[in-house]
Amino acid sequence: MFRKVLIANRGEIAVRVMRTLREMGIGTVAVYSDPDRTALHVRMADEAAHVGPGPSSESYLRMDRIIEAAKRFGADAIHPGYGFLSENADFAEACEDAGIVFIGPSVAAIRAMGSKTAARKTAMAAGAPVVPGTAEPVGVEGLRAFAREHGFPVLLKAVAGGGGKGMRRVDCEADLESALRDAASEAERAFSSAEVYVEKLIERPRHIEVQILGDRHGNMVHLGERECSIQRRHQKVIEECPSPLVEATPGMREAMGQAAIRAAQAAGYYNAGTVEFLVDQDSRYYFLEMNTRLQVEHPVTELVTGVDLVRLQVEIAAGARLPFTQEQVAWRGSAVECRVYAEDPYNDFLPYPGLITRLRRPSGPGIRLDDGVYRGWVVPMEYDPLLAKLAVWGETRELAIERMLRALGEFDVAGIRTNLGFFRQILEEPQFRAGKLHTGYIEEVFGKRCAPEPPAEYAVVAALVAALHTAAGKSAAVPTAAPAASAWRESGRSERLR
Amino acid sequence: MKLTLEINGRAEEIEILSGAPECRFKLGAEPARDALVEIAEPGVYSVLLDGRSYDVYVEDAPGGGLVVDLNGHHFEIQARDPRAWSRNAAGQGGSAVQSVLSPMPGKIVRVLVAAGDDVVKGQAIIVVEAMKMQNELKAARAGKVLSLTAKEGATVAAGELLATIE
Repeated sequence: MFRKVLIANRGEIAVRVMRTLREMGIGTVAVYSDPDRTALHVRMADEAAHVGPGPSSESYLRMDRIIEAAKRFGADAIHPGYGFLSENADFAEACEDAGIVFIGPSVAAIRAMGSKTAARKTAMAAGAPVVPGTAEPVGVEGLRAFAREHGFPVLLKAVAGGGGKGMRRVDCEADLESALRDAASEAERAFSSAEVYVEKLIERPRHIEVQILGDRHGNMVHLGERECSIQRRHQKVIEECPSPLVEATPGMREAMGQAAIRAAQAAGYYNAGTVEFLVDQDSRYYFLEMNTRLQVEHPVTELVTGVDLVRLQVEIAAGARLPFTQEQVAWRGSAVECRVYAEDPYNDFLPYPGLITRLRRPSGPGIRLDDGVYRGWVVPMEYDPLLAKLAVWGETRELAIERMLRALGEFDVAGIRTNLGFFRQILEEPQFRAGKLHTGYIEEVFGKRCAPEPPAEYAVVAALVAALHTAAGKSAAVPTAAPAASAWRESGRSERLR
Repeated sequence: MKLTLEINGRAEEIEILSGAPECRFKLGAEPARDALVEIAEPGVYSVLLDGRSYDVYVEDAPGGGLVVDLNGHHFEIQARDPRAWSRNAAGQGGSAVQSVLSPMPGKIVRVLVAAGDDVVKGQAIIVVEAMKMQNELKAARAGKVLSLTAKEGATVAAGELLATIE
């Protein structure tokens, strides 16, 4: 087993990986950029290496500095987390060349699944259903021909894409050229590649993905699905395991699971990976892409199956065999996760970085909180707005949702804006409760979002407290900054969490 | 003690007849009510009103006034004082000057106009970036750029004035 692992990431995922490493008795090395010097992942790590200034391209994406840090601190392996270098085949290769184990799949498997068009080919060859589309980049003529054959609407996508960048819906012939131009220039800006391909657009699809796990000895299992249909700007905000649709459809889990395994095996895959599917309104599923890394929303699978995916990733990377067979995988109850972002849900989900002046974390039965923040920390403006993932488990979906509402009520973050209140609106909405989900759900149901109206009595209480507070004068009751004593208490708490 | 509060933009009169912890108060023309109020933690009040328990978080807002949080609901409250400058009062008056404010905390990545430029409705003025997301601020109507405080590379707060257009 490894003696020391460097985590080439930041924020909540770096903290989450470190927690398992610590349970395994493995030393941890954090990396950090200038604005992250006092970030939680740095405070929690055994050792930490500075890798550059704020912009990711000069720090968390600098392979040379990260590998140099791993060597300098004597790390035997690197866990890439998600995002940043996690799906970069060149980085995995550079780790190998440096004699450091990359905790993830092989370089060849990342290449085979890394580009969306290559992944489509691999999946098709393995017999997995794919959305009708061109497996190759297209120009105007190819696009026109495709649209004539399959009909509108169609969807343009960046070959090197992700996160909705370079994506355009086209509803009619007249919009084709300008849409292609826009998609190509956006793709060029985001990924330095203007290549775009086209797919038939599936209306009101669900996004359902399958977690797979394989060892380096040819064994592979699936750990069931996650429903990730609740999205904003093509990014997931609520995930569930199991999917309400799959749970209600006999045989669907096993069929999707086997399709995912076939696609992954065709790429010679090992370690943890996720095969994403789009599901149409007739419950037909189509291979979308494969994420060759740990997924942000992996906790819901962990809660329902009882496995620690990070531990298995580390063991598999060290050469171990899968400790269980497909028949031994069991799903119990239901898990829901909310991604808590520093953003304003009532102002177009615009980011809202800044100082966290107050933080109260939910706790109690069935709650799991993966976060990377603390009171007094400035959420930097350079990175993703993900602050925390709040996940809950319940015996049924209904109970898990009730539990999530309870947990959200206990969660308080001040100083910045978050989407916490918006989750409560979604979870109380009848269509969500009924499990009738699709990726355009938020736009459709909450298109004109407003903050919920508070009960009238709340305004009375708020007025009373504001008046008393004003009368007492600032100095008497509320210090603006955290007093030294509680700052010490806070750091003591995270010390105990180690 | 009597105070005029502006709660989320709505004016309310409140009179404190007796102070905490055994509090008696009168809101507008409503009859007087009783509440038990304690400071539970710094910045956190525990209120018992008609037997119901409320945990109320209070914080000084950066621009003056208070932010009060109660079960996930936010209240922005200004205790109105005629001697003090009030942002709301300053913003009123219906002048022809259009203020371009930053919609989020972030960094100015591009300034696309200069002071004195004529702009058309919908023209991009400034690009602000935060957390990998760029936001283009546009002119709400046609006019001339009066002032331009935004500088490329500068860090700005939410609501900060970046430019004015006449």
